[in-house]
Amino acid sequence: MIKKLLVSPLGWLIGILLSLSICAGALFLGSLDVQSLLHTDIGHKILWDIRLPRVLLAFVVGASLSLAGVMIQSNVRNPLADPSLIGVSGGAALGAALMIVAADFIGVQAHFYIPLAAFIGGIIATMAVLKLGRNDMPGGMALLILAGIAINVVAASLIGLLTYLATDSALRHITFWSLGSLASANYFWLSLCSIALFLVCLWLPKQQRKLDAILLGQAEANTMGVDVKRLQIQSIVFVALLAALSVSACGIIGFIGLVTPHIGRMLVGASHRYLLPLSFFLGGSLLVIADGLARTIIAPAELPIGIVTALLGAPVFIWLLVREGRRLQW
Amino acid sequence: MVMSLNQVSLIRNGKQVLKDISGELNTGKVIALLGPNGAGKSTLIQVMANLIEAEGDIKLHGNDFSEYSNEQLARSLAYLPQHSQLQFPLEVEEVLSLATLPFSLTRLQQRQQVKQLIKEWGIESLAQKDFRQLSGGEQQRCQIARTYLQLCNMKDSTDHCGIWLLDEPASSLDLEHQQQLQSVVKKAAMEGHCIVIVLHDLNQAMNLADEVWLLDRGQIRSQGNASEVMTESLISEVFKVNVRRIEDSGSSYFIFS
Repeated sequence: MIKKLLVSPLGWLIGILLSLSICAGALFLGSLDVQSLLHTDIGHKILWDIRLPRVLLAFVVGASLSLAGVMIQSNVRNPLADPSLIGVSGGAALGAALMIVAADFIGVQAHFYIPLAAFIGGIIATMAVLKLGRNDMPGGMALLILAGIAINVVAASLIGLLTYLATDSALRHITFWSLGSLASANYFWLSLCSIALFLVCLWLPKQQRKLDAILLGQAEANTMGVDVKRLQIQSIVFVALLAALSVSACGIIGFIGLVTPHIGRMLVGASHRYLLPLSFFLGGSLLVIADGLARTIIAPAELPIGIVTALLGAPVFIWLLVREGRRLQW
Repeated sequence: MVMSLNQVSLIRNGKQVLKDISGELNTGKVIALLGPNGAGKSTLIQVMANLIEAEGDIKLHGNDFSEYSNEQLARSLAYLPQHSQLQFPLEVEEVLSLATLPFSLTRLQQRQQVKQLIKEWGIESLAQKDFRQLSGGEQQRCQIARTYLQLCNMKDSTDHCGIWLLDEPASSLDLEHQQQLQSVVKKAAMEGHCIVIVLHDLNQAMNLADEVWLLDRGQIRSQGNASEVMTESLISEVFKVNVRRIEDSGSSYFIFS
């Protein structure tokens, strides 16, 4: 009963949260006269071209990372797993860093191409991980994780090398990008991320009991009729898609994919029937709040959102961990 | 005949784990797999559950495993692994309800079946608990109950009885629940299901099994009627212990010296 109560009114809360977040920023929209907001270019631009896509993208990316986190943790049955485990974030970061340094070297503006390079990098890294850690062998999932770690290490060292080669401005750009920002949100990336999230939301509800079965163990799930190998491959493809698009749209945003599923589990347990919708709402809301804070705390300047998500979520997580840790031996 | 194994062999990491295993699983029979550690009992039961691919010929209802989807297999086979470790907070009730996954049941039917199971197995006090908080024995009982519910659904969804594969189900159970397990296994056999059970307790095997397959280093040393296979000399030789078989009012017991 508590689980249902927790999940059902979330839609209303999200609506209020999104509206508030659209108002917040360097210029508080609520304080403007509504008439002037609708009829002046500046108000129109702030609302429709800047705030709305940004807030919606924050929600979509937060929900995507959170669902990706649930999927990867359940599939590898490891509470420490997060979407970056399959190399997607490392690859995307490398792609972006390469583009930043290259564009700086040639002397062209590369704002649009950075997300594209990140997406390509993320997908290549995921394919390399899938190829290296063949999932059809015994212990395939462990191999996959190790391959992911290896690819992440390679990507990190290459990024390290690039930072040596980068100029001051490119270096600042790489650093800012690697901490995440929704400042360049637009309808193009919002549509792409929303389509990917929509596809996952169509597919995922049918898999919820199968994911529950995998939590018990691969052998158990197989003998309960789940095609574990197929489900794992499908999940990884969707995780890669969600994470690559999210990283491409707004850089690397840590913490959400790892911790939001845990917060969800502590509230409603591990059954995916409740965990999936709750994680969707929690992840989305957390990123909307974090982004709202990121652009108001030191307005008119902005904080990198990765810092805010960590500062905001970690204390909540620690509080839940201590509370639950007493009850369960976590 | 529900399942047949013909010349089943398995080599893993250069080691012969199973060699030329042949036998039949028939409806209403309880088959006990006995043997010392490393004899290949768990591997054999996993081969029967289609979790490990082995050489040789295995037929389920006359067909190869490859002709079945995982879901179809789950409507014919229920498997209890030796250990299972849950890392996430699932409630006992949620674990039990997974037994209905391969079958097309409404949510109401699922809930009713789980409720009935909890009542029958006397685990009402555990139903709402986090599975990880249970003791080893309680977890074992819940897992046995889960696979039993899967087995019970097989007869309704297919036109044949199921196979219940139990890998050391009694290892963490106290005496009361070992007896409960025995009576459930006997009841399932009476209903026509075939049960394959890995046991270490020779007396339990003698009491429960219609047939015994005695394994040693991946090979079947002897198979057949329990009282014929479990002779003093063979048991002593395979298990490397001194054992005496005592007959009393038509029953046989083993004592160790």
